[in-house]
Amino acid sequence: MLEVHLDSWLREFGPRGKEQLDADSVEHLLDALEGRYPKLRFKIRDENGQLRRYVRVFVDGEDVSRTTGVATPLAGARTIDVLHSIAGG
Amino acid sequence: MAKDRTIRILVGTRKGTYIVEGDTRRKAWKVGPVAHEGAEVYHVVADPRHPGDVYAAVNSTFWGPMVQRSRNWGKTWKEIGTPLMPAKKSRKPNYGDPAEAKWALNNLWHIEPGLPGDAKTLYLGADPHLLFRSPDLGATWEPIESLNNHPKRKDWSPGAGGACLHTILLDPRDARRLYVGLSAVGTFRSDDGGETWKPTNKGVETPFLPTKFPETGQCVHDVVADAADPDTFYRQDHGGMYVSHDRMEKWTRIGKALGDDFGFTVASPRSAPGRAYFVRLDGQARVTGEGHFQVHEWNDKTRTWRKLLGPKDFPGHFGVQREGIATDALDPAGIYVGTTTGQLFVSPNAGKSWELLPFGFPGIHSVSIANPTEG
Repeated sequence: MLEVHLDSWLREFGPRGKEQLDADSVEHLLDALEGRYPKLRFKIRDENGQLRRYVRVFVDGEDVSRTTGVATPLAGARTIDVLHSIAGG
Repeated sequence: MAKDRTIRILVGTRKGTYIVEGDTRRKAWKVGPVAHEGAEVYHVVADPRHPGDVYAAVNSTFWGPMVQRSRNWGKTWKEIGTPLMPAKKSRKPNYGDPAEAKWALNNLWHIEPGLPGDAKTLYLGADPHLLFRSPDLGATWEPIESLNNHPKRKDWSPGAGGACLHTILLDPRDARRLYVGLSAVGTFRSDDGGETWKPTNKGVETPFLPTKFPETGQCVHDVVADAADPDTFYRQDHGGMYVSHDRMEKWTRIGKALGDDFGFTVASPRSAPGRAYFVRLDGQARVTGEGHFQVHEWNDKTRTWRKLLGPKDFPGHFGVQREGIATDALDPAGIYVGTTTGQLFVSPNAGKSWELLPFGFPGIHSVSIANPTEG
């Protein structure tokens, strides 16, 4: 079971804090998360299924947002962080 | 319709939505709490067909674009349907050249309520150069394919603000006639309810292109219809200030008398047909020139200009964006101008006197007015 930590700024659309989910990839993890919380659809990913520009996904502490992205496999992973990136002003 | 003498200034800013309330004297104003805090709000507009309904084009830096609606003058808001967010699992459609990478919706720019006799239609303009129509007050959206997949689209490119479709105008006499304005593309008219579109940029100069008067490619910034004559339009373009008296068939440049006639925004008051207010900016610096805030009034009957503010009124260099000016429906007209540095200027008497609201907004993208209802 994966432990998913969600950005507090996403509270408006989804859960507060942690979620427990099973998934074999970031894409399927986000599918499952959006299934539980439909308001999250298109907030983390755009309509092409890609991570939004200022969203960061960490798998066991490693930022995969600009490398393997949503295709990142999660076999053996334990914790996922979905956070906003440094942006704005 | 219940009588309500409240007049509301709806302000979209770089950091959220504000609703400012006053009465018909337009002397004292109360700024309400911020909504959509932290998000870029490009447009906020009331729906006069349904008093209390307000729509906001909310563009979150992090979580993307959202159409939000309030049904109680901004006390509470709810996200409603946003285009390219189909209810089913499918993430189609993607616009643009099919051979190119998939396109995502970038930003929402303008929401236009339908005509008074058409209680449920809304229009929405978005980046990248997209037009949508909703038949159910924003629950669902239909793409206007004839424009969104226009055969010349591959030649369209974005302006500095993006590939925005920012102007949507409806002919109050004919629901099948509508006009749109697209940055770095120009204006189009449809006479058949959006089935076909005709470019309407004849006479508008393009100082940024080698061709002086192309069919399209003009960087229109804002267009407004005359209150009494739906065939007359006032246009602020990258290439100057213009008027058309024939449904945009041809445009005549009127701004040359001002010297530099660059700007982003224009408004025309309901109580004074034949008048239009432009905020003239320095073409290079993109702020008001000559060291002070200024608004110019165009009189279309006498074909003359009048400068409404002098150098001592509000010294400084102010930027004003494409939705940055609005007029109310009262007589004399109120004029409202929001700046990129968060000032909100109000004239309650068609430009005779001005005041600066004692509140510092975040940089202002849009200003619009919810007029009192007659009862």
